Amino acid sequence: MSMIQAGAEKSPMVRTAGSVVEPVADIALLLEGTYPYVRGGVSSWVHQIISGLPEFTFAVIFIGGQKEMYGPAQYQFPPNVTHVETHYLLHRSLVKPHSRKGNRQPFQEMEELHATMRQPGKLAEGKMIDAFARLDSKGGISQEDFLYSEASWDYITRQYKERCTEPSFVDYFWAIRAMHAPLFVLADIATGLPPVRAVHAISTGYAGLLGAMMRLRRNIPFVLTEHGIYTKERKIDLAQATWIHDHNDDVCNTLHDEMGYIRGLWIRFYEQLGRMAYAQASPIISLYEGNRLRQVADGAAPEKTRVITNGINVERYRGALEKRPGKIPPVLGLVGRVVPIKDIKTFIRTLRMLVKERPDAQGWIVGPEDEDPSYVNECKELAESLGLKDHLRFMGFQNMLEILPQLGLMVLTSISEALPLVILEAFASGVPCLATDVGSCRELIEGTAEQDRALGAAGSVVHIADPEGTAKAALELLNNPGKWRAAQQAGLARVKRYYDDQLMFSSYREVYSEALGVPRHPAVAN
Amino acid sequence: MAGIGFEIRKILERDNYWSVLRAYGYAGLVSGGPWVLSILSIMMIGVLAVMLGVEQREVNAFQICVTYMMAGSLIWTGGMQLMFTRFVADRTYADDKAEVLPNLFGVLMLTMTGGFMWAAPFIFSFFTGPFFQQLLLLCNFVVLSGMWIVLIFLSGMKAYGRIIWTLAKGYSLGIAVGLLASPWELNGLLLGVLTGHGYLLFSFLHHIVREYPGNSLLKFDFLDRSRSFYSLFAVGTLYYLAVWIDKFIFWFVPYTSEAVIGPLRASIIYDLPIFLAYLFILPGMAVFLVSIEADFAEQHERFYRAVREGDTLMHIEYRRDQMVYAARQGIYEIFKVQGLTVVLCLLWGRSLLQTIGISPLYIHLFYIDVVAVSVQVLLMAILNILFYLDARREVLIVTACFFITNLLFTVATLQLGAESFGYGFAVSVTLSAFLGLFILSHKFNRLEYETFMLQG
Repeated sequence: MSMIQAGAEKSPMVRTAGSVVEPVADIALLLEGTYPYVRGGVSSWVHQIISGLPEFTFAVIFIGGQKEMYGPAQYQFPPNVTHVETHYLLHRSLVKPHSRKGNRQPFQEMEELHATMRQPGKLAEGKMIDAFARLDSKGGISQEDFLYSEASWDYITRQYKERCTEPSFVDYFWAIRAMHAPLFVLADIATGLPPVRAVHAISTGYAGLLGAMMRLRRNIPFVLTEHGIYTKERKIDLAQATWIHDHNDDVCNTLHDEMGYIRGLWIRFYEQLGRMAYAQASPIISLYEGNRLRQVADGAAPEKTRVITNGINVERYRGALEKRPGKIPPVLGLVGRVVPIKDIKTFIRTLRMLVKERPDAQGWIVGPEDEDPSYVNECKELAESLGLKDHLRFMGFQNMLEILPQLGLMVLTSISEALPLVILEAFASGVPCLATDVGSCRELIEGTAEQDRALGAAGSVVHIADPEGTAKAALELLNNPGKWRAAQQAGLARVKRYYDDQLMFSSYREVYSEALGVPRHPAVAN
Repeated sequence: MAGIGFEIRKILERDNYWSVLRAYGYAGLVSGGPWVLSILSIMMIGVLAVMLGVEQREVNAFQICVTYMMAGSLIWTGGMQLMFTRFVADRTYADDKAEVLPNLFGVLMLTMTGGFMWAAPFIFSFFTGPFFQQLLLLCNFVVLSGMWIVLIFLSGMKAYGRIIWTLAKGYSLGIAVGLLASPWELNGLLLGVLTGHGYLLFSFLHHIVREYPGNSLLKFDFLDRSRSFYSLFAVGTLYYLAVWIDKFIFWFVPYTSEAVIGPLRASIIYDLPIFLAYLFILPGMAVFLVSIEADFAEQHERFYRAVREGDTLMHIEYRRDQMVYAARQGIYEIFKVQGLTVVLCLLWGRSLLQTIGISPLYIHLFYIDVVAVSVQVLLMAILNILFYLDARREVLIVTACFFITNLLFTVATLQLGAESFGYGFAVSVTLSAFLGLFILSHKFNRLEYETFMLQG
């Protein structure tokens, strides 16, 4: 069913004479759509953590959508990766559809569970545990029952009649299927995963749910780190998703002013996934205070949350700093995947504004373009229509150490960020930053605590989707060498003092040691 | 055959008795045309040949030969007819029309050479007549096999008008040639039908080749497992086997039959009433065409459109109910009109037999046969609805039931004695129709469930 890919041979699965099986790794990292197949901030961070903590062994559990969406692994595993698994949630079921009655009992229990889930703030922990523990096993709902049984059909149609406020049954039906089918794959992964001492999910969503299942089924510690806020990012995706039809037409626009039922269903689904992960995970780690508060608002128990900020190896960027030319290069760099969430289009428009004042200005977009080809096309067409052919370059993935010395400003126009490593990298190589006021960008540029703030601004914070303001801020720094130098010094000082990776490593060392060393609590008091 | 519904609709919309009559007349002609025309023309050749001085014995032999060739070629090609019709429908749906013509030639090649390969040794070793006669029999069989394929193909193209017109011309030609060649007795008559069927085969083909594009001459994609449904092959073969098995049994049981020519035997007591009875399903066939191919087909299309295009579940259920209503109405209408036909046959059957010079001894067999073939129209309607729902497995079950029960019950009636003759077929077809109804009702009840949950 699931693919266990090359790399698994590295894992020494020591099976002793009895049924006692040695754990294949200390920590199983549960990675949804990132490391090692997709490059990006989270993936770099994962690689950094694995490399920086050689005293722990890691199992890399990748969960993707469809196999075709991913290329070869983008990272060379450090030697302390002892087990690798690759799974895809959206694979076609190999079972031929055939009619079956289905076990009605678990569907009835599911109804109660769903009812509890609909009440805000409540978490039917006992029922949830029960449902997930038995998913795809005897007495629970099997995948075949869910996909093909009459019991499942009756349940889905009843729910549709009672709740769905949108007309299209076929849309509702497929939304429900698409939503729940991955749960069975997760249950499979949870069953098949060789023993590990603890799990560490690097997001909520499906990875977080897998973590929760692992904790419930095996009673092992479950650490959760969130870089972005998964639920929020899904909401942004869903708000833009064109594959969901909202049945709003001109006539009844006033009646359906808010988002369509199915869109809302998806959002509530992801919110539930998040709540389930929060309920089981400890500690729940975020990158900065803003996100921690958000986790608490989304249902995480405050006492379990903590902030461990990202860090980088500042030394590594010394070379880039030394290579900098004396003059400030009029080059704006955006480092990131070319996807809507990075709002590349605003960057392009900013450049258009800037070029009016500084005809020598350049814009470089540095990052992989394979994730959303249609968006990449839109961006390229926009650049062309704005006549930026000689000013804008799409450079694909590049070695940061070579790019950074050539930049005059690092620009982030994202509509959502967590704690972007590229800002830290820019600081360490002496590049001031312009960033939108999302995630921890303001904290990074302006500082948090009093001492931190005293270091000064390492660039400027701008509004979301504001090309004019961004261009103005860029011009102010580029045309004003004194201000630019001050920003450079503030960035250098801030990254050295607060965002050195040694701080991050020691925090995670502590988290892992605690997870592995402390005697385990029973998951639930029955 | 959805296209016919539209044409009939057009006529019906004029909304007067004359137009209703015309619509049903047209439908009757279209649905019953091929076999009514063939039965009538074979009979006519016989009658006219006797008048021209051909010996009755020769005419009997001729009619038996043609009957066997019809039965044999239908059973031989029945499976391929269904399987290929589906193949063509799928290709057309996939907008891959250029694939169709080369594959039609593939099917013709397979059925005609295949038919030749097994019929030739059979005919040459079992028939004692002159070589020329053996050759005529063989050619007739091979040409008929090809003709059924192009005929069903043309029906798929909804070229009903052309079919009827060509059939009329072909059979006229056959009768003319047969009578001109009647001095050669059996051989002459066989030459007549061969000319007629040959003309039909080639003029149908001519029409198809003109209408369809093609990029190569021969292809055998219809045999490809991933694109074809062998269960349909089984259904087609089983259906024709089921329809003919009781006749074959009566032909080959010594005390109900007599040898006519070569290995061919006939059952005088059994054959005449049943073939006569088949003429009385025309009203039912006409209603069948109007109510199933027009009314039901339209509701069926609406149901699936509701599913595909995102209607509410309540509306999908409403469309399902409408479709079930159309199906029920269709079956009920067939029941009514065939019931009336049966009543009329019961009233006037005796005088009818008298008028056309058939012994009144046949009357009871004729009665039960009229009932049986009327139920057979119902069975065909039910099978057709199941085909619309793509219930291939269910259709296979019903046709298998029809075949097996007809075989068993007919053998049983032979044990029970002469007064039970015909009841085997009648009970078998009734039982199969009930089974079909039962399955259909079950299928309808679970239609949305199966449509949504069990798609591949």
